[in-house]
Amino acid sequence: MASALGERLRAIVGAEHLASGAAAAVDGVAPRFVARPASVAEVSRLLGLAHAEGLAVAPRGAGTAQGLGNPPTRLDLVIELGRLNRVLEYEPADVTVSVEAGMTLDDLERVLGKHRQILPLDPPGWRARTVGGVLATNASGPWRFRYGTGRDALLGVRFVQADGSVTWGGSRVVKSVTGYDIPKLLTGALGTLGVIVETTLRLHPAPECERSWLLGFASLDPARGCLAALLDSALQPSRVEIVNAGTLAALGEPATAAALAVSIGSVDAAVAAEGAELDRLARAAGGGARQLADDFWERYGSLFAGARGVRLRLAGLATSVTDLVALLEALAQRHGLGVRVGGCAGLGALTAVLEGECAPDAWEPAILGPLRDRLEGEGGSVAVEQCPAALKERIDVWGPVDPPALALMRRIKTEFDPTGVLNPGRFVSRL
Amino acid sequence: MPLSPAVIPELRRLLGPDGLVVTPEGRMTYECDMHTFYKGTPELVALPRTTAQVVELVRLCRREHVAVIPRGSGTGLIGGATAPEGGIMISTTRMNEILEIDLANRAATVQAGLINVWLSNAVRDRGYFFAPDPSSQMVSSIGGNASTNAGGPHCLKYGVTVNHVLGLEVVTGAGELARLGGKVTDRPGYDLTGVTVGSEGTLGVVTAVTVRLLHTPEGVRTALAAFASIEDASEAVSAIIAAGIVPAALEMLDAAIIRAINEGIHAGYPTGAAAVLLIELDGPQAEVAAQAERVAAICRDHRPLAIRVATTEAERALLWKGRKEAAGVLGRMTANWLLQDAVVPRSKLPAIMREVGAIAARHQLLIANVFHAGDGNLHPLICYDERRPGERERAIQANEELLAACLALGGSVTGEHGVGVDKAKNLPKQYAPADLNFMARLRRAWDPDNIMNPGKLLPSHPACGEGLRVGAPARIPSGAWV
Repeated sequence: MASALGERLRAIVGAEHLASGAAAAVDGVAPRFVARPASVAEVSRLLGLAHAEGLAVAPRGAGTAQGLGNPPTRLDLVIELGRLNRVLEYEPADVTVSVEAGMTLDDLERVLGKHRQILPLDPPGWRARTVGGVLATNASGPWRFRYGTGRDALLGVRFVQADGSVTWGGSRVVKSVTGYDIPKLLTGALGTLGVIVETTLRLHPAPECERSWLLGFASLDPARGCLAALLDSALQPSRVEIVNAGTLAALGEPATAAALAVSIGSVDAAVAAEGAELDRLARAAGGGARQLADDFWERYGSLFAGARGVRLRLAGLATSVTDLVALLEALAQRHGLGVRVGGCAGLGALTAVLEGECAPDAWEPAILGPLRDRLEGEGGSVAVEQCPAALKERIDVWGPVDPPALALMRRIKTEFDPTGVLNPGRFVSRL
Repeated sequence: MPLSPAVIPELRRLLGPDGLVVTPEGRMTYECDMHTFYKGTPELVALPRTTAQVVELVRLCRREHVAVIPRGSGTGLIGGATAPEGGIMISTTRMNEILEIDLANRAATVQAGLINVWLSNAVRDRGYFFAPDPSSQMVSSIGGNASTNAGGPHCLKYGVTVNHVLGLEVVTGAGELARLGGKVTDRPGYDLTGVTVGSEGTLGVVTAVTVRLLHTPEGVRTALAAFASIEDASEAVSAIIAAGIVPAALEMLDAAIIRAINEGIHAGYPTGAAAVLLIELDGPQAEVAAQAERVAAICRDHRPLAIRVATTEAERALLWKGRKEAAGVLGRMTANWLLQDAVVPRSKLPAIMREVGAIAARHQLLIANVFHAGDGNLHPLICYDERRPGERERAIQANEELLAACLALGGSVTGEHGVGVDKAKNLPKQYAPADLNFMARLRRAWDPDNIMNPGKLLPSHPACGEGLRVGAPARIPSGAWV
């Protein structure tokens, strides 16, 4: 049976682009095959076959975020999109680009950099990640404070539905309200409604000059005060990250209890003027500002991308950020764990990495529960982005979703993928 | 299905004696939006004050199999808030409270009927503003802005409404009350907020909106550059964008519009110019100063007749008043007009403006242009007089040729006005059948019985284009905004 299926898959992608699934397990569930299609048509034929044969499929970009979500309930085929890596259209004067979904952000940066333009999606480890993977997982990084997230970047999207239908949504121009905003639906959907194969993206001009500062404080309280003052000012920073003591230590930065890492991107004179104002704000809050080396953001991202342990994505209000850092540190200390926290303080989107020994049964009551309780009142959430498979069996990876919204999500998933071809079980409430 | 008279007492109990418009004269007020070409009078108009009332209304409509037509301030330009198939119109005008302002988190939550500019007025003293600024912002509602994903001059830099909507309270076509998103972003699950914005009342009734507020920039500079040809002005726009400058706004007005503005509201735009660019830069003072010099240099490279910088807030306000009321004043100068909202890639602006000129000449019609040039979002106003034989047909033909030209350049049917009934027939020009099928199925997940604003947004939807009572072509009201 397997060989018959293998024969049909080989007929689509060619023998050299079909591999056994042993090395591509998702949370310990190994697929039978990994197929590496070279075109949208091949992706369509693969999904058409999967649909007809009742196979479960997991799309894969660079594979760096395969730990996100619940373990798949079934998995037969991984579709790896790395060969869909071409630039389809790039007219710099439009400040947009159309690329295939398997292109890495590093490759794209090289193309755009020649024209001093950027795609400002910079999640941890972004260079190795693919355009489609970053969008499907709604991954974001420090630049989101100024430039937004995938939902703000994705103008148009071609995707292949669970039955193999090739579908387009959105447009190739920067402004369009023609029909429903399908790109929003696909962004962050973890490939459960379709496999993203081509994208049209809004770009931005690279700032002429960008400099960053670390605003260090002796405790979290002055950091909170400085953050509030910064957000209530006319300053226009491009990054506003909070960095806890554990992260500072791991980066080899001088030890302080907490810090804000802030970037300003503009013309030289404005960067200098806003930098001076940052220094003033830090002093007024009882801390100090120090300019950061150019490689800081690469090192900062790598720290979270390469982390072992349990990685959490927390979403709360900007005004809760220092409380959350304090709570994370207190919980970690109580259970003998190390904790590194970073994330967009200005938008309340944090990443925390917890390292050390903690019994799998203890995580839900001891760590996730208290964090979710703290965030529940303000509509926040805690998602487990990465953790050992043994732990995953025992926790709610995504946390609860409001029942009426969940009912809509279920109806949408059922409408487009009633038999569960695409990533069955991995998304919220095991959709 | 026609509405049973038996529901009227039930609705009166729900909404109170002043919460229902029943009389023919009263309902006539709601027969169209700002696109008076499309008419359809609702069988009843409901004026709820609370979300709970909207939930009951939608459930009643579902039970009775009658259409629900949500309506904000009725400033739409696409026939979206009309009732071509009858049904109950839900007007949100009495739901106009600000529910929460949370400046520390740069967010506000408002009821759907709150007027756009009221929100900025409420936070301006504290140094904040709500960025989406459709020209109708003095009267259009934030719920309506969200439902149509409204744009505006400043969305060049700040993005359209969806980029500023953090959450929605919406009553779905299935009668569920769903709270989507909120002040905290990044919720697990599908981005239903993003899908609902721009859905034109076809998925549900938006009852409250949580939006992002922005801090007022440190500096702002507004200037006007006049050119001897539309071509020079278009090339200046493309050059500014290509130079990596993102103005807060970059608007173009042509000779016909300049004349209308000067005669209508005495804004003092330069006479004799073929095109004027209204350019606004904002941000840190030093950035504005540096970019202003560069923009001026680019304009000088394109043979300007004059460059004028507003030196006082009053001068700045007058330049903007001219822009925002341009379409309205033109309405006084032509008997009838058709309006496009198509978009082209920004680098194609000079090409499409040449094409607009050629189409106008070919059909011997005046096509006036006032639009968001920096976004490539055109608003050609095709002027005609229905009393002259054949002119209306030529205008319709010119309109179609213009749209085809925009799409051939890689553009989009509508940039900010929406689809409604007006543009539904054009969606197949931009989307393949599979794409439209996906949208129709998405709609079904929200509105299983097809009661939400039927006949709008999708061409394949039952009765779209049929049963539509198309009134005699009328003048667009002189107060319309584009």
